[in-house]
Amino acid sequence: MSPADVNTEHPLELEAPRFSVKKPAVRHDKQGEVPDAERVKRAMQNFVKDFGRTAAIYMESCVHCGNCAEACHYYVTTGNPKYTPIWKIEPFKQAYKREYGPFAWFYRTLNLKSAVSVERLEEWQELIYDSCTVCGRCSLICPMGIDIASLVTLARHGMSKAGLVPHELWAVAERGEKEGSPLGATPKVFKERIEWLVDDYEVEIPLDKAQAEVMCAMSSIEIMKYPESIVATAKIMKHVGADWTFRLDGYEATNFGLLSGNAEWQREMSMKLINAAIACGAKTLILPECGHAYGALRWMGANVYGKPLPFRVLHIAEFLAEHVKSGRLKLNKIGKSVTFHDPCQISRRGGAIEAPREVLTALGVELREMEPGKGLNWCCGGGGGVVTIHRADPLRYRVFQLKMNQIDETGAELPVTSCSNCRQTFDDGQAHFKWDKTMNSLLEMVADNLEEEAA
Amino acid sequence: MDLLTFARGPGLFWAVTIFVIGVLWKLVGVVLLRAKPDLSVARKPSAWTGLRLILTRTWPRREFLQSTAYTEVLGYTFHIGFFVALAFYLPHILFFEDVFRGLIGVNFQGVFGVSWPYFSGGVIYFSGAVAFAALIALLIHRIASPVKRLISNFDDYFSWLVTIAPLATGMLAFSHVGAPYQTLIAVHLLSVELLLVWFPFGKLMHTFTVFLSRGTQGMQFERKGATL
Amino acid sequence: MPDSMIPQDARDVTLGEYLAARGVSRRAFLKFACSLASLMALPPSVGTAMAEAMAKARRPSVLWFPFQECTGCTESITRSHTPTIEAMIFDMISLDYHETLMAAAGHQSEAAREQAMKENAGKYLLLIDGSVATGLEGAYSCIGGQTNLSWLTEAAKGAAAIVAVGTCASYGGIPKANPNPTGARAVSDIIKDKPIVNIPGCPPIPVVLTGVLAHFLTFGTLPELDPLGRPKAFFGETIHDRCYRRPFYDQGRFAKTFDDEGARNGWCLYELGCKGPVTYNSCATVKWNGGTSFPIQSGHGCLGCSEPDFWDKGSFYRPLSVGQWGNAATLGGAAAVGVALGAAAAYAARRRQDKIAKGD
Repeated sequence: MSPADVNTEHPLELEAPRFSVKKPAVRHDKQGEVPDAERVKRAMQNFVKDFGRTAAIYMESCVHCGNCAEACHYYVTTGNPKYTPIWKIEPFKQAYKREYGPFAWFYRTLNLKSAVSVERLEEWQELIYDSCTVCGRCSLICPMGIDIASLVTLARHGMSKAGLVPHELWAVAERGEKEGSPLGATPKVFKERIEWLVDDYEVEIPLDKAQAEVMCAMSSIEIMKYPESIVATAKIMKHVGADWTFRLDGYEATNFGLLSGNAEWQREMSMKLINAAIACGAKTLILPECGHAYGALRWMGANVYGKPLPFRVLHIAEFLAEHVKSGRLKLNKIGKSVTFHDPCQISRRGGAIEAPREVLTALGVELREMEPGKGLNWCCGGGGGVVTIHRADPLRYRVFQLKMNQIDETGAELPVTSCSNCRQTFDDGQAHFKWDKTMNSLLEMVADNLEEEAA
Repeated sequence: MDLLTFARGPGLFWAVTIFVIGVLWKLVGVVLLRAKPDLSVARKPSAWTGLRLILTRTWPRREFLQSTAYTEVLGYTFHIGFFVALAFYLPHILFFEDVFRGLIGVNFQGVFGVSWPYFSGGVIYFSGAVAFAALIALLIHRIASPVKRLISNFDDYFSWLVTIAPLATGMLAFSHVGAPYQTLIAVHLLSVELLLVWFPFGKLMHTFTVFLSRGTQGMQFERKGATL
Repeated sequence: MPDSMIPQDARDVTLGEYLAARGVSRRAFLKFACSLASLMALPPSVGTAMAEAMAKARRPSVLWFPFQECTGCTESITRSHTPTIEAMIFDMISLDYHETLMAAAGHQSEAAREQAMKENAGKYLLLIDGSVATGLEGAYSCIGGQTNLSWLTEAAKGAAAIVAVGTCASYGGIPKANPNPTGARAVSDIIKDKPIVNIPGCPPIPVVLTGVLAHFLTFGTLPELDPLGRPKAFFGETIHDRCYRRPFYDQGRFAKTFDDEGARNGWCLYELGCKGPVTYNSCATVKWNGGTSFPIQSGHGCLGCSEPDFWDKGSFYRPLSVGQWGNAATLGGAAAVGVALGAAAAYAARRRQDKIAKGD
């Protein structure tokens, strides 16, 4: 499918600062001119492909207690029961029981659950995409221990194959697949950026080294919006004396294949990074400040590759923490009060909760935790592809109020995070609400406070 | 054949048989599905410690307690009341011991050294009544809460019915109210048989799947070092 | 006392005159009638009315036919170490046929029967104990070359009412127990067009029969019956409801064996198989042998002998709450079936996935 296949009823605003649809309203986005019956067939087939033991165990166990709603920022801020997490995957569950579960034959013969219809899938588009950031809080509240968030990710596969992804999300994913970046940070653009950064900041940024111990990745958000991150990375690498490189054949850390639910694109995007790291013989692949990038490669990478990865995968915060411990990273002390916003895919879902805090401690800040904090922290509301969906903005702003209140309550001077999508969401929210606090990047904070070596 | 003879005879036999067939069909049918191995490098050396989630998820985390307290407290009130009435009433215990002896060949006391404890009828009645009241409160919440009302289906209401029926009929039989005792006790047995027959096909299976789902999440999250 | 021991003209004596001649004072008779009335939960005034009616009553003709029985019912009802008023009343009915008690035998006894039936046609009471054999067209149980079945259908035609004495006659009893080789049936299975009272029990309590007869003598009708045809006055409550050990049941004190501390303390016998909760009879109040004791008091659980098919409801020692769940073999088989079906379902699901993956 090309951009031309996108439904022309809802033209895209390509030149606007935020890539979006010209008139965002309640709509059911579709890709391609495909009969409805075919859409449903594709959705069902791909749902079935994804059902396995783990998904089956989860879907068999739900007792409809409704507790998951209480963990979800969309429900908590709106009171609308349709945002109940387990309800978001209802068509997926319906298909499971009817097509795949141990009693599927009974469900079909006695029509105990009707076949999923295209109307149902269309109705569910906004629940699966607009109002789920796959933050995983619901998975923690569920008394039955169901990982609801993972089921949403799986459900997106079928939706994607059926061509039922929200416009902008599909469009950026397609762009990422075709051009190598969802936001136009093509290899050519990346190279150009690196060149002017090298000039402007007088910093070494190795590119396309044939051999390197460490390969770094970058997210398009940083490349296009926060290019200082590239500089910060370079400075830090130099400071710790790493043998590192960027590679034009594999640098994009974001994975809109994952976010939109296109499994083939997800694989292709991940394979670029994997192949590039193998090509330069890297022992360590460092992922930048991006949330889902961590999940995509640290936890899903090997499974997509089909074999264990021949290199370590670290988030930049983990890399920094390691070097704090090793003593190679020497930092000036910042005597300010700081609160850390935990990116869902890195902290709660990813397991790297303490690494950023070790770095903040080394920076000598007064660390104040939000309530709830660490693995239970509230999501910024923009992850999972949600920030790309313009029609979801009003919902996102409501959710953002939770974050503002949380941060204000700590009384900390500086909010810090280590995901540029969170950062982007905070920047947009700050502008919308005219909030007095600006989100900071941990990476940039470290780079700005490197202890200069004695000349 | 009168109702009580049926309930104590073929009714019970078929109910228990269908229960065993159905539960295993469901569990085996799920556990033998495809499971892809996780090839990523685990953060923790062993994922088995994640099985502790089976215990720890028994009670909500501090951060979630306030918002889920009603359901949790009433849910446990029901479960504990039901369990006490079921497991510590001598007529019930005699049945379980008979099954135990029939399957293993030895007396319960022979294996465990102590006889199965039991409470007086009054205590059991109280426990059953508390469970009954909790179920009523839970049904009201299921209907009144917008979240629960939206996500509830036939399974939720029917499972509620087949669970409250043994409690109600048990209390009626115990107090000899409404019909001759033979009829009351036969209806109580039949309500239990209905519960057993429905069990594998609805959400009552959470009795077993809770171990699978919490165990799965526990192990998957533990290997990542993710929050449990 | 057998009928032939009473002089011929004594048959014309009323019950009151008969008892007076035996030395039973009017006061004692009145007391007896009142206690009988209260036993049947009738108001005190009825006691007096009963006494007067019974005193004036002519002795009705009663034919007692023994079918497939063990004679236990007769034993129970006639057992008395001291002559009781029940026994005397029993003697006073004109027992025109009773094989065990009558002196006559053979053709003479059959002639007496036929004569009594002819003379009292439409008015005699037919008492049956023992079940009715229907197998081989009734040949399993014959008297004088004729089947019980034909006797019953013949005699029922001229009977005012039929009293089925004992569980065999009431519900089929022991002969009917699985596999019922003789085709044993209850009286009420055969006769459908006459009033029938069932007085079950294996054997029944003597005063129950007396009470029914007294009611009949007084009112000319049978007492109020429950759905199983038993007089509500005697079968309206369960043993459990009147058992003196009920407090122990409620407190949860049960005997576990016949000789343990619980048994010796007289605790509830539920665990030892007592069927008291589902058995309707008066054993717990009226008791046996002139109020001496009843099975539970003697330390053995109730067998439920006044209930239909009590012999086919599993072991007497299996508690009421322990039903037939199967056994290790049946559950093992069920488990195997469940596992097989689950495996088949999982296999089918996997195949489906493969087909879809290939089709892509």
